[in-house]
Parts: sequence; structure tokens; C-alpha cells
Amino acid sequence: MTTTTASTGTLSAARVVDAVKVYGSGDTRVRALDGVSVDFPAGRFTAIMGPSGSGKSTLMHCAAGLDTLTEGVSYIGDTDLGSLDDRRLTLLRRDRVGFVFQAFNLVPTLTVEENIRLPLDLAGGKGDPEWIDALIEVVGLRDRLRHRPAELSGGQQQRVAVARAFAGRPDVVFADEPTGNLDSRSGGEVLGLLARTVRQTARTVVMVTHDPVAAAHADEVVFLADGRLVDRMESPTADRVLDRLKAFEVPS
Amino acid sequence: MNASVRLSTSSLRAHKRRFAGTFLAVFLGVAFLAGTLVMGDTLRAGFDTMFGNATSGTDAVVRSAEAITTPGESQGVREPVDTDLVKTVEQVPGVAAAAPDVQGAGQLIGADGKPIGGQGPPTLAGNWIDDPELNPYRLAEGRAPKKSGEVVVNRGTADRGDLKIGDTTILRTPDPVEVTIVGLATFGGEDGMAQVTFTGMTLSDAEKYLTARPGEASSIQVRAGPGVGQQELVDRLTPVLPRGVEAISGQESTEENTDMISSQFLDIFTTFLLVFSGVALLVATFSIHNTFAIVVAQRTRENALLRALGASRRQVTASTLTEASVVAVTASAAGLAGGIGVAAGLQALFPAIGFPFPEGDLVIGVLSMALPLAVGIVVCLGSALLPAVRAGRTAPLAALRETAVDQSGASRVRAVIGGGLAALAVAVTLTGVLVSPSLWLAGAGSVTTLAAFVVLGPVASTTAVRVIGGPLDRLRGVTGSLARRNALRSPRRTAATASALMIGVAVVSLFTVFGASLKATMDQTVSRSFAGDVAVSTPSFGAGGSGLSPRLAGAVQQLPEVDTAVGLGRGVAEVDGKGRVLTVTDPLALERTFDLGTVRGSLRDLGTDGIALTEKEAEKQGLTTGDKARLTFTDGVKDTFTVRAVYGQSELAGDYVITRAAWAPHRTQDSDTLVAVSFKDGVSTGAGKAAVEKVAARYGDPEVQTRDEYAQSSAGGIDMMLTLVYALLALAVLIALLGIANTLTLAIHERTRELGLLRAVGQTRSQLRAMVRWESVLVAAFGTVGGLALGAFLGWVLVKASDGASDSAFAFAMPPLRLAVVALVGLAAGALAGLRPARRAARLDVLRAIATE
Repeated sequence: MTTTTASTGTLSAARVVDAVKVYGSGDTRVRALDGVSVDFPAGRFTAIMGPSGSGKSTLMHCAAGLDTLTEGVSYIGDTDLGSLDDRRLTLLRRDRVGFVFQAFNLVPTLTVEENIRLPLDLAGGKGDPEWIDALIEVVGLRDRLRHRPAELSGGQQQRVAVARAFAGRPDVVFADEPTGNLDSRSGGEVLGLLARTVRQTARTVVMVTHDPVAAAHADEVVFLADGRLVDRMESPTADRVLDRLKAFEVPS
Repeated sequence: MNASVRLSTSSLRAHKRRFAGTFLAVFLGVAFLAGTLVMGDTLRAGFDTMFGNATSGTDAVVRSAEAITTPGESQGVREPVDTDLVKTVEQVPGVAAAAPDVQGAGQLIGADGKPIGGQGPPTLAGNWIDDPELNPYRLAEGRAPKKSGEVVVNRGTADRGDLKIGDTTILRTPDPVEVTIVGLATFGGEDGMAQVTFTGMTLSDAEKYLTARPGEASSIQVRAGPGVGQQELVDRLTPVLPRGVEAISGQESTEENTDMISSQFLDIFTTFLLVFSGVALLVATFSIHNTFAIVVAQRTRENALLRALGASRRQVTASTLTEASVVAVTASAAGLAGGIGVAAGLQALFPAIGFPFPEGDLVIGVLSMALPLAVGIVVCLGSALLPAVRAGRTAPLAALRETAVDQSGASRVRAVIGGGLAALAVAVTLTGVLVSPSLWLAGAGSVTTLAAFVVLGPVASTTAVRVIGGPLDRLRGVTGSLARRNALRSPRRTAATASALMIGVAVVSLFTVFGASLKATMDQTVSRSFAGDVAVSTPSFGAGGSGLSPRLAGAVQQLPEVDTAVGLGRGVAEVDGKGRVLTVTDPLALERTFDLGTVRGSLRDLGTDGIALTEKEAEKQGLTTGDKARLTFTDGVKDTFTVRAVYGQSELAGDYVITRAAWAPHRTQDSDTLVAVSFKDGVSTGAGKAAVEKVAARYGDPEVQTRDEYAQSSAGGIDMMLTLVYALLALAVLIALLGIANTLTLAIHERTRELGLLRAVGQTRSQLRAMVRWESVLVAAFGTVGGLALGAFLGWVLVKASDGASDSAFAFAMPPLRLAVVALVGLAAGALAGLRPARRAARLDVLRAIATE
């Protein structure tokens, strides 16, 4: 069992301990996570990398409370997600977690501003107007607030999604291939935005990606293979990440 | 298997749920239609058999040749024949037996002191014919009446009144007659002829109580001896009969009777049900069309791929149509089975509620199967035709585009056509209502209005949903806001979904408004023309009831509290060749208890050759005071009457008035329909009413009502009708709701990812359910509001057009409370329709929903 643990000793925003996730049964049984323990420290930008089928998306889903573990425990802050029912999990996602998905991040019937405020509105609260205002400034969409998602480019849509993810000052923002559908320039902008927000506002971001260039924007990269945590890398660069990934392709 | 057939069957299998709503809509409509037809045929056959059994022993009927028919009456009134004629008939060779048949109205009082029947079907009394072959009723228990006061009643009536052999009760003829039940009878093997009540008495009692003069009978029933056919018998009888008397064969008489039942009851009954199944099917058309339109829109990429792979337009269209026909045929066939089930259920249910359903197997005619099947298939295929053609037009390139699903808005063309239709509708309707009142024009205008509403639906839906849903944002926050915007997404779809409900609600509102207007009309009539303090009447409508004793008015007049008591009787005569209802009364007293408007001439001296009539009739007949009018009575007597007075208002008093003295030679069974009473000054209504009630108790205990009570009870039948109409329209509303639920389910299917996103960023399940429910409520609200507006407008048109086109004055009334209830029911129904789709949506797996394709 791999016992490599990514930890910096600081407070963790999210973590999973001995996480096991099994899909299916019998012949089609797949161990997507096979005993992963990983800590996502607060105030850091962490990227999860690994080849297809390595379990990186599963890890993110379980850490974020979108999916449940077969064995092991996952925490957001000090909250054990396994102890929460669907309603509490939903409220936790709404109040303490932000999401950026690869595509279809925005509700098409809502304007840009309404999309950004969506988690706050669902909670029925006002949120922090100054914080929202600052976010809008950072993502640079002030002149687009009344537009509908369909009137925005893909990059602009993802920037709105980033603003939405941070709107409720969540403990942690999970991003699932946020640049997967973007050209490199737009992607770069979105990644820069994520990294800037983490550094300037001391937020926590966990990003799943298969793109070394994207991973290079993170403070740290954790590598997954066959459902196990196999490595971690501080202050990554695209080249180093690429080299590390190539190593997976050589059968060990 | 053909390629398009294979495609459509596999698609049907894959999307069973999508077609569940369509299936149900067609099924319900067809079942209702088939059930109605089968039940109609079964009833008709049952009555035929019953009459055939009951009257098979009668070979000929001798009766007066002439009948006077008044408007709105099918049977007419015949003069009685002389009982002495029986002797003449008996002497005709080939006649085995002949018996006088004396018939009149007689209402029995049940064990609980309440009259039996009288709400529709006739309440008959007659002489008990001892010759069992000539008597349509058969003794089932007990014996025939032998002495005065003994009666046989049909078993159904005895059961309803909880009466047994040996019981003594009152028979209103209308004078109360104490009778003892000595026997129970059946009619054609059943407990009665439907709900008709029959009391058989001795011949002398019947002559005494049911005819004006002894020695008269309604007809003579004749039985032929062996070897003499019915027609032969008629041929032999005809020469010996006096002028004005005819003989008809027994078979002819039976046919007349069954025709009467058919035209008075069955035809109305089935037509009524057919109209409502028509409404249900119309509503179904919208739901089905909408389902197919959505399904085709959702399948754009799939169809485009087929086209790109080489499928022709026709193949794509054909595959959609094949799908529709599979649904159409299976649903219609299931509907037929359902219809037979409905008819069988009713056949079992009717006797349980005291309606003897003629026995016999269900009559399942070719037409009552073929018609619903054809209608079901045509409705389903017709609804799918446009979407199928649209499917065929899919461009192959659409497969490559990320097509947004059906974001069709309201086109300019639609707005223009709709606007034109609306203008035309308003013009035609207003012409038919205000300019030259005509029910035809108003009807055509109404249909055009409906079309305009349907065409303009998508144009109106955006604004309407925005306005109706406005408060939702504030009330329900982001959940309400999302619901509202979802309802706004596809105006055409929202409108089509709402249209189905709109039609249902419109018909409900139409009847509600019309019913309220009828009530208001009656109320207005009573308060305008009834100047008395209390009215005495027997609550009944249709052919039932027995009226009031003609002696009641005189007895009430004797009370110290009473100023005037006047009885109104009913007579029939032809006035210048047309059958008319006459009011037989004391014209002077009439003037004191009814407001007759301005009277030209005088009601004082009508005498035996004077007549008074309303201005309206006078105008129509070209008569004025001093003119002569020729009256032909049922006894064939033609008399010339002088018009002595022309009065302004008729309503309760009737259009023609003659005195009792003038009517006396021609009268049949004597009865009053209404006794109007006014009190002396200083007598309170309560005290006066109590005094009148005491007298009335001696005359069969009819109801004594104050003016208000009288006005309300006149309208009592309307509420009963409305209840029935609401029950029948529930089916149409149910189909509309299935449509809403179906559209929502399809919409949720198409918004899977969006719902997943909402759940991921923190929408709770209950918020999601509320969002879907509110969307459903909004669509229902749009349909309900549109339906209320359309129904109220059509109700106004109907009332106003009737007012203008007919002689009677109609008042228009809006019942706000009832309409509010209709609105609430519409909204509640919307919430109900949203329940299942909301639950399904809330069950969505978040992960699957957000997973990229």
C-alpha cells in the first residue's frame, strides 16, 4: 500500500484518508481508488494528475462530496463527509465548496451576475457584496453582467464559473479539467485567474487536469496511477510534470 | 423489416416513458367515446326489448288522431276517447279483448313523507288493466286493485319510497288521494320503465281522479283473436271508429314509445356525453402534438445523423409516423377495451343507484367500435403529422452542430395570423351578439376566438408567464426565478402545453358563467314579475310531478291573512294554427300577484271567449285588442276568442291567458302548476307562510316558498347540471394535466446536465422539486388564466346571443367565487401535475448529470 502523503503541516482544507472506491461488482469490479490518503492544504493551489483511469476524477468527486467512498474517510475542514445525509452534503457544497467543471458550468437561463451569485441565492443569503464586487473585477466581466451565458465565449464562460466558485468564500474550490474545452490562450487566462485568486485571497483550489501546462500553474502536483497516490511535486513546471508523466508509461 | 419501421420500434422501446402520456391521452379519450356509444346502444336495445315484452299483447291502440304539440315538446297532447267506444270495438270481428287505458299524472308519497320521483322522468298513474295481455305491467306480488283506494305500484317505485304491500300512503293527483298498496308490478321484466313511476288504480278511481269527466280514456288497448294480424285488426277497426279517432297497430305504438324514450332521453344523454368526449379528445390532440413535437426536437441530432448516413426525408418522416401509429393503434385498441369496461361498469352501477338498467348483454355495434378506433388513430396521427414532417426536414448538418433543443420563439407570421384571427373573431362575434343577434354568427365567432387563442398562445405566453410569475422571484427567491425562466424557455412549448388545459378550463368556465347567468335570469324573472309574497309549487322538472290541486288556491284565499291567492293552470291549444301553452287562471287575481307590465285593454272581462296575450306574441301574430283569434282545442273544438288585453311581460305568467271558465269544457286532468299568494297589509311573511303551509298540508303538502326561496329553487336544477358537467370535464382536465406532466418530464430529460450543475453547486433536492413544481404551476396558471378569460368571454357571447336571438330575456352574471374556485383548482392541478416530474428530477444522480459526454 502506498503511504506517500502530501502534507505540509499547515491546516488542511480538504483531505481523504485511506480512500477506497469500488465500482461495479463481480467481473466488472473496478477499484478506482485503492487506499489513497491525501491532504489538500489550505491556501494552496493543488493539481491532481495522472493518466486516464488513474482515479483522479473519482478522487476529486469523493473529496468534494459529489460521490461517496466505499471505504475510508473524506473531510472538508473537520467535517466527515461520510456522516452527512444528502441534504447536509448539498448544504455543505453550497456553503463551503466551489466548483468549476470542464463544460456546462452555467445555468443558461440566468445572467452572468445571477450565475455568479447562484450559490448565495440558493442559500437565501446576500453574501459579501464587496467580495463579489472584487471577484467581478478580478475576472474582468463587469461589462457583461447582464448577458446570458450563450452570449459569451468559452473562456469568458469559464471565468464566470471561477467567479461563481469563489462567490461564497468557500473552504475549497474543486476544478475538474477547467481548461479542457478551451484554446490555450483562454485556458491560460482561466488558470492565471485561479492561481492569482489563491495567492491574493488565500483561497484553496484543487484542480484535476491531464495537461502539464495547466498543472504548472499549481503550487504542488500530486500524481495518481491505478487508484494510488504515487508521487507529489512542489513548484512544478510543465517540463518536469511531463517527464514525470512519461515515467508512468514505462511499466514499472 | 423495413428500415424506418425498425428504427421507430427500437425508438419506442427505448423511450417508453415518453409515450406513456400520449398513450394515456388517446386511451382515455377513446375509452370515453366507445363507452358512451356502447352504453347508448345497449340502453336503446334494452328499452326496445323491454317495451316489446311489455306491450307484446297489445295488437292495436285506438286513440284521437290529432295531437297538439307545443314548442319544446315532442309528444303532444291528445284528446281523450269515449270509454263507450270499447263496446263498439269489442263487437268488431277478430277482436279478442279491448280495455280503456286512462292515464294521468300521479305522484306517490314515500314512507318518509317525501314525494317519489318527479325530477325528470314522468310520474304516471292510470287504471290497472285486468287483461294481463293488454297491461304493459305484470303483477309480481300481491293482487290487482279491486275496490276504490287500492293500487298496484311498480316495484322500483315502491323500493324507492320504502313502501310495501299493505302500506297506506298518499297519491297526489294532484288532490291527495289515500291509497293502499295491494300489489307490486314489473314492466317488461324490470322493476320499472327506467325511473318512471306508475300507480295503477281501479278504472272508476282512475276516471274520478285522473280525468275531467268520467267516461273518457286516453286510449283503448285492443287484443286480436287468433289468426288476425295487427294490420288486419287495424283495417277492421278503422271503419267503425268515429271521425277524429284512429287505430294504430301495437307495433307502431311500441315504436312511438321507444322513439319517444330515444329522443327525449337517450339521444340527449348520448349527445351530451359525446360532446364531452369531443372536448376530451380535442384536449388530447394538443397534448399529443406537443409530445411528438418535443420528441422530434430532442431527436434532431439523431435524425440528422440518419440523414447524413443516407436516410431520405421520407424515411425519417415515415419512421416518426410509424412510431405515432404504433402508439395510436395500441392506445385506441386499449381504449376500446376500456370503453367496453366503462359500459359494463355502468350497467352494473345503474341498478345500484336505483336506475333499472334494461337487462341483456352489452350491445357492441360495429360503429361504436369503428368510430372511436378511427377517431383515436386520426387524432394521434394527425397530431404527429407536423412534427413528423419537421423531422424529415432535418438538415444532415444538424448532426454536427451543438443544436440547442427547441428554442423556437413566437414568429412574426404567427403574431400576424393570430392578430388577424383575433380581429376577425371579435368582429364576427360582436356582430352576432350586438348588431344582428344570431347564435350561428356568435358560434362561428366563438370558434374563431378559440383558434385565435391557440395561435396567439406562444406570442402571449412570454408576457403572460413573466407577469404571472413576477411575484415568484420575491416569494421564492432563486427557485422561483429559475422556475419562471424555465417556463419562458420555449414559448411555443409552454403555450401548447397550456393550451390543452386552457381549453378544458375554458369549457368549465363557459358552463359556470352560463349556469350563473341562467340562475340570474330566473332570479330576475321572479323578482321582476312575481309581485306576491309566497309561491306554492311542487318542486319538479321535466315530465315529473303532479302539480297542485286546483282547489288549493280557493282554500288559501279563505285565510284571513291572504289578500289574493291565484292558481295558474296549464292548457294547450292551437292559436291560429300553432300549438301554444295557455295559462288558465283568474286574470284579475293574476294582475294583483304578478307584474304584467303595461296592460292595454282590460283583464276584467275575459269571460269564456276572451284571451289576453303578451305584446311580443301579439306582434308576432299581428293581433291587437279587439281582434279575433282562432283557438283549436285538443278535443277538436274550434272557438273564436277576442283579444281583450295585451300585457307587457310574460315570464312567469305565460304568453296566453284564458279564464278557467273558458278552459273548463276542454280540460283534462285538472291541476295548477303554481299558486301565487299575496298577504294583506300588516301580515308578516313568516306568519302568512305558516298559515298557507297549514292549508297546503291538506292538499298533498306542496312546498310553500317566499319569493327568494322560490327564485332559488327555480334554479336548483342548474346546479345539478353543473355538477354533472364538472364531473364530465374532469376527464379533459386530467388529460391536460397528463400533458403538462409529460412535457415537464421531457424537459427534465433535456436539462439533465443543468439540473446536475444546480445540484452540484448546492441546490437541495427540495429546492429542485420546488423549482419543477413551480414551473408546472406557472404553465397551469397560464392555461387557467387563458381558459378563464376565454370561457368568460364565450359565456358572455352565448348569453348575449341567446338574449338577442331568442324571445326570452337572458341576464348575464359572472360568478366570481365559482370562477375563483376554478382558478384555484387549475393551479392546484398544476402543482399536482408537477409532482411526479419533480420527484424524478430530484432523483437524478448528480455525478451522471455533470459527467461530460
